[in-house]
Amino acid sequence: MRALFNRNHWPLWVVLALVALALILPAILPWTYDQIDWDAVRAPAFSGSHVFGTDEIGRDRLARLAAGTRVTLMVAVAAAMVSLVVGIAWGATAGWMGGKVDEAMMRFVDALYALPFMFIVILLMVIFGRSILLVFVGIGLVEWLTMARVVRGQVMALKQRPFILAAEAAGTPSIKIVLKHVLPNIAGVALAYLMLTVPQVVMIESFLSFLGLGVQEPLTSLGILVKEGADDMDMTPLGLLLPGGLLVLLLICLTIEGERLRDVYS
Amino acid sequence: MSVYEIRDMAIQIDGKRLVEDVNITVEPGKCTAIIGASGSGKSLTCLTPFGLTPGTASGSIKLDGIELASANAREMHLARSRYTGFVFQQPLTALTPHLTIGKQLQEATSQAGPQRLSRQELALMLERVGLSRADERLDQFPHRLSGGERQRVMIAAAIAHQPKLLIADEPTSALDASLRGEIMALLDGLRVEHGLATLLVSHDIASVENHSDDLIVMDQGRVIESGPTVDIITNPQRDYTKRLIAATPRLTEPAPVLPVVGDILMEAEDTTVLFPRPGWRQGKIEAVADASLSVREGEAVAIVGGSGSGKSTLGRAVAGIGPLTSGTIKWQAELLPERRERSLAMRKLIQPVFQDPVASLNPRWKVGDIVLEPLRNLSPELSSPERNNKLAQALDDVGLGPEYIDRVSTSLSGGQAQRVAIARAIIAGPKMLVLDEATSALDPLVGGAILQLLAELQRAHRLSIIFITHDIASARRLCHRIVVLDAGHVVEMGAMAEVVENPKASVTKLLIEASKR
Amino acid sequence: MTAIPTLLVIILASFFLMRLAPGGPFDGERPLPPETQAALQAAYGLDKPLWEQAWLYVSRLVQGDFGPSLVYRDFTVSELVAQGLPISLTLGGLAILLALLMGISGGLYAAARAGKTADKTIMTLATIATALPTFVTGPALALCFGLWWGLLPVSGTGEGWSWLIMPVVALALPVSGAVAKLTRAGLATVLKQDHIRTARARGLSETTIMFKHGLRPALVPVASYLGPAAAGLLTGAVVVETVFGLPGLGRYFVQGALNRDYPLVLGVVTLYAALIILFNLFADLIYGWLDPRMRDE
Repeated sequence: MRALFNRNHWPLWVVLALVALALILPAILPWTYDQIDWDAVRAPAFSGSHVFGTDEIGRDRLARLAAGTRVTLMVAVAAAMVSLVVGIAWGATAGWMGGKVDEAMMRFVDALYALPFMFIVILLMVIFGRSILLVFVGIGLVEWLTMARVVRGQVMALKQRPFILAAEAAGTPSIKIVLKHVLPNIAGVALAYLMLTVPQVVMIESFLSFLGLGVQEPLTSLGILVKEGADDMDMTPLGLLLPGGLLVLLLICLTIEGERLRDVYS
Repeated sequence: MSVYEIRDMAIQIDGKRLVEDVNITVEPGKCTAIIGASGSGKSLTCLTPFGLTPGTASGSIKLDGIELASANAREMHLARSRYTGFVFQQPLTALTPHLTIGKQLQEATSQAGPQRLSRQELALMLERVGLSRADERLDQFPHRLSGGERQRVMIAAAIAHQPKLLIADEPTSALDASLRGEIMALLDGLRVEHGLATLLVSHDIASVENHSDDLIVMDQGRVIESGPTVDIITNPQRDYTKRLIAATPRLTEPAPVLPVVGDILMEAEDTTVLFPRPGWRQGKIEAVADASLSVREGEAVAIVGGSGSGKSTLGRAVAGIGPLTSGTIKWQAELLPERRERSLAMRKLIQPVFQDPVASLNPRWKVGDIVLEPLRNLSPELSSPERNNKLAQALDDVGLGPEYIDRVSTSLSGGQAQRVAIARAIIAGPKMLVLDEATSALDPLVGGAILQLLAELQRAHRLSIIFITHDIASARRLCHRIVVLDAGHVVEMGAMAEVVENPKASVTKLLIEASKR
Repeated sequence: MTAIPTLLVIILASFFLMRLAPGGPFDGERPLPPETQAALQAAYGLDKPLWEQAWLYVSRLVQGDFGPSLVYRDFTVSELVAQGLPISLTLGGLAILLALLMGISGGLYAAARAGKTADKTIMTLATIATALPTFVTGPALALCFGLWWGLLPVSGTGEGWSWLIMPVVALALPVSGAVAKLTRAGLATVLKQDHIRTARARGLSETTIMFKHGLRPALVPVASYLGPAAAGLLTGAVVVETVFGLPGLGRYFVQGALNRDYPLVLGVVTLYAALIILFNLFADLIYGWLDPRMRDE
């Protein structure tokens, strides 16, 4: 916890500040993200009540940014959680069982790694309709692979440690050994990779939304905002630069913190 | 005329003085040995003058006329490439993995000048260090060679450019016990043949006493004692040296008086352990084959063998923490099944202690919880105060005070951690301990103290012990009988005194040779 | 060894997934009369049992026939792919070369200056680069160099090679950042290892130590990243081709996916999978060269 107040952790502060803004702004802004101000289409920044102006059909940019950030982060956290649960369950089972079970389970992961997975996710989106639920289930299902590999490696290494054998000799049941000896000792690494998964998921969600295959209107996300901005960039560059810059800032901060955490635990 | 002379050397890292007042002289054809526990500064002392550690050395360090303490880049290059050869501890990692043996040997030869050797000459160098099929080896990558072979390659490379000084930093510590004698003999032979001045570093006083002319004992960055090896071994002046010599087991010391033994408690018959081959490959690896072994009440039995002999696997099968493919393990009349099928009552009989004390303790647990773990499972009937009494008693038995109960396991030293592991093993009142190299990873003084503690526990609790080790001299301090394992087979067994006196199997002879060092 | 079964599984999986989809390619604004529907279905073989369709598809595929496109009515998928593949391969190939060049040299330079300002600057830049999604950098580059300064063409293939610059840079940036970080970290690990101390004890120069003894093992993580990198580049290419209006495979894929053009999407997925698998095989070869220990596993 003390690390939170360290000055070196500015990226974490930036992320927390952005999250806070994304949560608070929609409540206090005079405009909602889908409300059209017919008097101010493509309004420049700081015109009237529109701090960052409006887009090509007169919606408030700031309100849309806040709403988009919220959706993007929500999807990211949810998908990262899916990857955490699936990855730990798969990796810990493979690592703990060992032998042929491990061999088969990890071959499966290897095979999936070799797939052009983004395309499979896109196929899923096309086939089962473009719901936000499917977006994060799909992404979580891609991202668990790395988590499973990391967790499995950790469990394999731990299993050889004598304190696990000593626990067995002490009569501790298997399930309790996993819960009390193994999992607490991989929590740090799993947390670090969870942190690294979040920016990955943000990237994938935005990518899908950019192509029109992810989050659907009337909902919005940073990817959709970038897409809208790119389509209209010759008229109002701000429409591209604001969501693009925000997205990059988020990704950079999350990556820096995640890598730091990973370096601590490995 | 000395080749290498260090006067009043001090070594600093990041402003901290880690080594002080070191004086060393090495003469051509002679060997000077530095011994000390880990953290004594012995490796820093021998590597820092050559810029191979992060530290800086001050004082006077003369290598054949070059002053290393103030050497410029050209002189340092000369000192490293022409005058000195190095042999390091880990032959596994000390060779570059992606270059063939031939290429690395060629590099080592030409380091002193632009002289390239023919293939035959390179092969000859390998033959000289005792490698067979030398020509074939030139094209092999290091990972294809065994540990002993790699160390021979390291030695060949270290003397390829005909240096004047050879620095050997724990050259045999990472090798299998049965190989250590050969490698030391090789180093001795080359030293005499080439008139090499040798600086030998080791943590083990017994391993250098027959191979060095002069001895330097270091502790905590200072030289405790130095002089001719024979004088120091036979007549040590300083208290530290005396304790060190007393703590180091050797086969020449008088045999200890061991407690009397009772009836047979544990009997393992035709124990076989097979492991599946990794991957999808067919077939099994036979780790232990038809090994039989019995242990009486109050008796200590040594299982001795090199690495890969199956000694740990056999011990784990007996302790019920490793697989058992076939054969029977009986406790008196009762059959002990494999691993997870053992009942709690059976678990209570046998407890293990492992080699690496730090890895033996869950890094996230406190000492109290660690020691209590067996008691909670195996004696659930005890009340909380009764448990706490047992905890205090167990810690007291291993020489630790109650203040350790709340210590985090990661804050313990190796010796303390091993005491905690032993307390955990004895708290539930077992009849037998399986000790797997329990003293091998510890510094000699600490290891000696743990051996002492085990001997006391053996008497006080009438404990039976299976003592797994590669070092017959340590086993002799504790054990009545000895079982020698090689490639999974029992090749020799008998009373300790008889086997040491008159070994039959070749492995036993090698291991005894290694223990004599 | 596993390459061909993997490919087959991918093809079959995506084939059945596509057929499970509700709605077909002929669902227009206005429902077609049932007879016309049936005639179209029969013409494209959609009325046969699924297994038979799958078998037909795979057996034709082996002969290089991806079937007709359902949306681009006058073209077969093979023709569309033949048009798009060279563009995508040029883009991807140049991007990975650029990324390796920038990444490895940047990582090497940073490792040689470990702890100094140059090291920190390069590593900060690398972290930023990895966080740059192509769908942001692509439009941003187009905005600056195309619309504002008018230096480079914003869209289409055009004359010469200047149209390649922005797409390739946008694609290569995140990969180069990752490669730089892996190279730097790999070298930092390797340079601490025992065999480097052995080399140093021989009196070799730091440059020789770095290139002869350090670089190859240090690049092992980069080699294992090549497979995922190739997959990343191909997905990135989808965006870049859309943004810069390049008629590559990725554009056809998105169009096909949005229009439910089964044969087109399947064809592109198959090709992508084959490319990625090929690339992984290639990475395995490099792996064995970098570290001979891998060959024996």
